[in-house]
Amino acid sequence: MIHVTDLKKTFGNEHALKGIDFEVGKGEVFGLLGPSGSGKTTTIKLLTGEFRPDGGDIEVNGTGSRHFGRTSYVRNLGILSDKSALYERLTVRDNLELFRKLYGAPKQVVDEVLDKVGLADEKDKRVSKLSKGMKQRVLLCKAVLHKPDVMFLDEPTSALDPTTTEKIHEMLEDLKGEGTTIMLTTHNMDEATRLCDRVAFLHEGVIKETGAPEVLRHKYKRNEVHLTYEDGGVRTVGRDEENSGLLRAALFDESVIDIRTDFPTLGEVFKKVTGKELV
Amino acid sequence: MNITRVMAIFEKDYKEFMRNMMLFTSVLIPMVLAAFFGRMDPEAGALPSELVIIIVGVVFTSVTFSGMMTMMAEENEKDTLRGLLQSPASILDLIAGKSLVIILMTVISLAASIFLIESDGFWSLENIAGLMLLGIFFLNLGIGIGLLVKSVATTSVYLIPIMFLFGFTPYIEFLVTEEDHIARQIAEYFPLYQNLYIYNGDGGAAEFLILLAWVAASLSIVLWAFKRRKSDG
Repeated sequence: MIHVTDLKKTFGNEHALKGIDFEVGKGEVFGLLGPSGSGKTTTIKLLTGEFRPDGGDIEVNGTGSRHFGRTSYVRNLGILSDKSALYERLTVRDNLELFRKLYGAPKQVVDEVLDKVGLADEKDKRVSKLSKGMKQRVLLCKAVLHKPDVMFLDEPTSALDPTTTEKIHEMLEDLKGEGTTIMLTTHNMDEATRLCDRVAFLHEGVIKETGAPEVLRHKYKRNEVHLTYEDGGVRTVGRDEENSGLLRAALFDESVIDIRTDFPTLGEVFKKVTGKELV
Repeated sequence: MNITRVMAIFEKDYKEFMRNMMLFTSVLIPMVLAAFFGRMDPEAGALPSELVIIIVGVVFTSVTFSGMMTMMAEENEKDTLRGLLQSPASILDLIAGKSLVIILMTVISLAASIFLIESDGFWSLENIAGLMLLGIFFLNLGIGIGLLVKSVATTSVYLIPIMFLFGFTPYIEFLVTEEDHIARQIAEYFPLYQNLYIYNGDGGAAEFLILLAWVAASLSIVLWAFKRRKSDG
């Protein structure tokens, strides 16, 4: 669905992307993770046709980047970026009706998507009267009402309250269930772990690692085992040849009530791979 | 260009126009001015044609030019333009939809203002043709500058000189009394003067050709603004 090969982008003397490669399959949720300034938003803007690449190839849904301006291309995209905005003087319904008509979507979709995000009762309210979280939910409705094949979400839950974040995650899980290909950028590791089938770590314009969150956590796990004893004591031993006898014995030791291997969080994996915190 | 998308943008911009006090009052300003001028001195008879044309100039600068420029600037400032351009709507759909709102508001403001000053013979075919060319000129200026300005606040930098130069051109006769003065000779080639001549019944091919030249010049501003905006990203 999305093929990116040796993608480069330069702004003046600054190399925002230094030749990145990745692929996203149909119906897959792919997360691009990285700290601010790592090139995440630039990648999204290149994929949505807002920027032109300085090198490399992009193909989304069978369309090459030269044809990203075509109506047939944008018709099948859903975009939610940190700069997405609504018409504040108009009602929620007016805003969504505009985009429904621009995309040629059926009439009932406006009520359907508002129902899904729990904003059915707010449809006749002016956008200026809504909270930030509500506006973000309306923006998500705007991005999905034409049932796009591919969605690009740039920091979809950035600075939102937990309830709104949960609503948005639920809606994205529904879209995933419907087979929509989703590419999102985030520095929220819980979000990436929950939603993404695969993630890529983008650091200083280079992809340092790619894989499924669980696979990456397993790959970079600490080689330690924690044994918890009934008296509350915890013993940490290396998972190696030297301790193999002890670990085997612990399985049958009745005073050992818990044997646990610690898996790092995705944020810890990122730090291990790039040497930087994911903030 | 797609008519469904143009009408969707028209509907959205019409609602926005009616709820935007700044734009909505711009339609009323010429009417207030016309009501004031029309009742100044009932015994003096018809209003001098220069004043009638200045009211026309106010309609076209405050509604057509300023309205278009402000609507475009607001889309830029509030980042809503990005959303429209990321949809199947083209920039031509966007401009056409907005232009329809502006044309509607211009016609309402102009018709009401002329009704209030009780000007006879205003709606002659020649005058309507001249007004259409003048309207296209101001609409193009509004689109061109609107494509370039990034905020509503910046629009006033353009509004004042444009209003003074193109909306109040016959006012120069009150400022420069010497008839052969170079400033007055130059001003006579400005678009509003051509409409004055046409309104007075002195208009011929020359006046229409000058108006067409101004329309062509304003169109080149639109094309230049398009090019510049494209290269800006």
